[in-house]
Amino acid sequence: MAKEVSAKQALSAAKEIVKDVSDFGDAVNAEVRHHTGGRRKNAYVYIEVVASEWRELALWLKNSKGVDYCSMVTGIHWPENADAAWQVVVHLLRTGVTNPQIVKKRVHETKVDIAALSGNSVPMEFEISMTVPDTREPSVPSVADIWVGADWNEKETWDLVGSDFAGHVGMRRVLLPHDSPTGYHPLQKQHKLRYHDFNEMYDDPQGFGRKPEDSGRVK
Amino acid sequence: MTDDILDMRGWVRAAMDFVSENTIGMSRHWEYTDSVAWFLTEFIMCVMVFGGIMTTLLVLLWMERKLLGRFMDRRGARTSLRSLWVGENGVTAGEWWNQLPFGPGVPGGMVNKLLNEFAGNDHELEAVSRVQNRSYHGVWWLLPGFFQNLADGMKFLTKEHMVPEKADRFVFEIAPFLIIATTVMCFTFIPLGPHFYSNNSEMSILFLMAVFSVAPLGVFFAGWSSNNKYTLLGGIRSAAQLTAYEIPLLVIVLSVVVLSGSFNVIEVIEFQADSGVWNIFLLPMGSVLFLVVMVAEVERIPFDMPEAEAELVEGWWTEYGGMRWGLMFASEYLRTYAACLLFAHFFLGGWEAPFEDTLPLIGLVPHILWVFLKAWFMFIFFVWFRAALHRVRTDQILEFGWRWLLPLSLVNLVMATVLRLWVYDGVNEEWPILVPILITSISLALFILLSIDEDPEALEAQTRPFSVQTVDVASPGQHRK
Amino acid sequence: MAEMWISMGPQHPMTHGLWTLKVKVDGETVVDTEPDLGYIHRGVEKICEARDFTQITTYCDRLCYASANTWSHAYIYAAEDLLEVEVPERAEYIRMVAIELQRIASHLMWLGAYCPDVGNLTGMVWCLREREMMMDLLQELGGSRMHYNFPRVGGVKRDLPIGFALRCRAKLKLFLDRIQEYEAILDESTIFLVRTQGVGYAKAEEMINHGVSGPNVRAAGHNYDVRWAHPYSVYDELDWEPSVERPSIKGSDCYDRYRVRVEEMRQSALMILDGLDKMPGGADTYHEPGDPAILAKAPARAAEGQTGYHHFEDSRGESMFYLAGGGEGRGKHPYRVSIRSPMFITIPYAAKCMIGYKIADIPAIMGSFDPCIGETDR
Repeated sequence: MAKEVSAKQALSAAKEIVKDVSDFGDAVNAEVRHHTGGRRKNAYVYIEVVASEWRELALWLKNSKGVDYCSMVTGIHWPENADAAWQVVVHLLRTGVTNPQIVKKRVHETKVDIAALSGNSVPMEFEISMTVPDTREPSVPSVADIWVGADWNEKETWDLVGSDFAGHVGMRRVLLPHDSPTGYHPLQKQHKLRYHDFNEMYDDPQGFGRKPEDSGRVK
Repeated sequence: MTDDILDMRGWVRAAMDFVSENTIGMSRHWEYTDSVAWFLTEFIMCVMVFGGIMTTLLVLLWMERKLLGRFMDRRGARTSLRSLWVGENGVTAGEWWNQLPFGPGVPGGMVNKLLNEFAGNDHELEAVSRVQNRSYHGVWWLLPGFFQNLADGMKFLTKEHMVPEKADRFVFEIAPFLIIATTVMCFTFIPLGPHFYSNNSEMSILFLMAVFSVAPLGVFFAGWSSNNKYTLLGGIRSAAQLTAYEIPLLVIVLSVVVLSGSFNVIEVIEFQADSGVWNIFLLPMGSVLFLVVMVAEVERIPFDMPEAEAELVEGWWTEYGGMRWGLMFASEYLRTYAACLLFAHFFLGGWEAPFEDTLPLIGLVPHILWVFLKAWFMFIFFVWFRAALHRVRTDQILEFGWRWLLPLSLVNLVMATVLRLWVYDGVNEEWPILVPILITSISLALFILLSIDEDPEALEAQTRPFSVQTVDVASPGQHRK
Repeated sequence: MAEMWISMGPQHPMTHGLWTLKVKVDGETVVDTEPDLGYIHRGVEKICEARDFTQITTYCDRLCYASANTWSHAYIYAAEDLLEVEVPERAEYIRMVAIELQRIASHLMWLGAYCPDVGNLTGMVWCLREREMMMDLLQELGGSRMHYNFPRVGGVKRDLPIGFALRCRAKLKLFLDRIQEYEAILDESTIFLVRTQGVGYAKAEEMINHGVSGPNVRAAGHNYDVRWAHPYSVYDELDWEPSVERPSIKGSDCYDRYRVRVEEMRQSALMILDGLDKMPGGADTYHEPGDPAILAKAPARAAEGQTGYHHFEDSRGESMFYLAGGGEGRGKHPYRVSIRSPMFITIPYAAKCMIGYKIADIPAIMGSFDPCIGETDR
């Protein structure tokens, strides 16, 4: 019996999804990508989506493709790129988890015949990227009601990066103190560490000899 | 009255008579000679009993520390004893036998070494013996740690006494004294020997039980007055638990009283001596129930809900500090000590030496020693429970108390009544020897039968045999609208 | 009794770290809960933006004090995805040994913390003693007791030390025996069963939807393990089965979550024993640090616009690193490092799981999900 999902299974499952995604038209751009490190170059699905279409895509992924698990929602700030200054990256997994079959009030069988997995039960990774042009209040639709696991991920992304999620109920600070100043999101790139912008940090490892460029202006 | 070479009360009385006659008796208040001697005797006996208890309490604390250390070691209590002759990594415990005076241990040590070489179990592989990771401290593993308790006491004395700002100050200050005072009062009626007690009233058991159950009131006061949610919960748990276990306790003690025909502790012991059989062989179930109830009464694991440190930090004494905390801690151990002593008196024949009739020389051992040995032996069980068991939940404690302990203790009472009325031989004032043998063996057989584990397959087929939770599945996310 | 809020934390024996669980109780029954995290937020993600790819490993070690090695490996796999590095097979085996040893140590730490949660200190002492063996082995690999800094981009820091295989086999065989002792003091104890069975039910599908993964999901009867679902390393060549519990109809309770971790320790130990036998080049040969057999050459800079990520089976669930490379202009630093912490997602779910149970069940349920605050707050 196979011990793990084979590269062929993953590739065909990914291709199938990419083929079906094309129904969405221009708003959704999907391709099969491969990991580039490690022993296997696993295939995964990479989707670029226009933010306004994201909820529809998410519902489709969840309902017809069995994507049941939101691994991570994260944001990146690209201040130099005005067209796509805010990027939100969502990592989803298809685990194929259902409540296991139950016989006589006990779970029946826990072994999985991995080689026989096909269609929607093949575990699959998804990377979904959407960008928002430069704005003071970046926002993308929330998917916390589709995958509850996205709830705290979105809170964290808003807390640290500052991209808001429209439709998210109960947005609040989770990692920063509750009384942090409004609009303060430390992972935005205007907040600089001492090392930033030095190509070689080794000539002054601790940065003692230099001051950050905003010293004197920011306390 | 049994004979005891340590006739403490008699000696003190004689000495006080002498003192009194030569002081008061010479004066114009000569008619008070006897009263003064009596007063001095009682006073000195009180001090001696209290001092004896407080001093030997250190043994309890030390025992707990040492025993827990041994239980928590993988090998348990074996380690310290085994390492005396097996040693670690071939080093045989510092060859302590060579250090004995006058060298009687040298030949024994040589034999031991020889045996270890051929039949020893120290491992060839260095890795294995290293990972066994044993901490042997030699024969001196006994002594270090004894004075740790004194050091702890000194530390408590130097701590500041703090009262929370919003506490009910009066009740907060009163509660520890209520607990400590009533705990100490218990020992008024617990004799340490036939002539070594501070008071001996006719109804001493009744008074003992009454005093013993005042402390929960103090616990509840302490929990409530601290104005802290943890202490409040701890106090309420304590009140519920102690109320539930007070009743079985009284019924069990009542069965001992019925069996022995007296409300006096000394007479209960005398009865066990005269009738030839200790009560534990007549009421085995009662003794086990007494032990369980006492563990709950003194709030030790597995019944330490009131101070469950996992969820209530320290339960009802969270807000106490300094010497008040230290004294409450001491009073908890004093209550444990009282429980052990009572067990020894009620069920193990008090100061009666085992086989006192068949081994005549054994009577030369001071009786106080037997009392302490039996009490300390019982304390081993308390520590053992603590090391081996987990904490029971509040509802489970109460359910166990009401649904199992109370009915069983009533059965025990009926058994004691039947034994006393129809089996006890009133003419010879002795038990027919077949009775304790039968009762003990039947009880042991039942215990072994009941403690055999269930069939694992049967367990597997059921859904969660131990699930006593009555609520439905928690439904995450549904509570918040 | 009126309802009241109890604030358990930030310093409370239940919390296993520094966080607050606000509990609304009605008498002894839990009515509502509200977790509050972030007490030890160190800003690792921001710091990593100013470190080069090798330096970041040390920060990842410090994400979780109980499971340092798995976290640094989780990062290393993502970094290799970003930098497009092929790892020698021997290095993969050594990594597997390190990861699984750490998994055992982490589960022992969990079990050691769980026993006092349900009121027994003996279990804790026993577990921590066995954890000491794993720490010794990891110390031989990484050179320190807690934060090993063992993996490198492209391989591992050092080969297995001489004699490591012997000691490792001896200790693991001893450990496999001692697991039975935990079972003796826990499974055989009716009080432990009473405390954990029927408490804290959680269903597989619900947990997956909430983002809970790893042993907690496998306890609910669903066989989902990143090690076979999104394979990495050499797990396909080893003899192992994911440990999956068979819970009752209501879902997995605390007892299932305890069982699955004990079984997982067993599986990991067997996996290491098997891996030592199958190690290419033999477990007893020793290569100098930097030898191509254990360390491949890796570029120091990522290509422009390149991203890399890797799902990883941590001791507590699926962890993940997402790295966005900075390109030439940004030197050797990644542009953005994003960490997916399993416990960050699990703690809110576990807090919801407690509703309806007693106060005394709070530590039992919370502890059974194996919270670790270092990785949660990052």
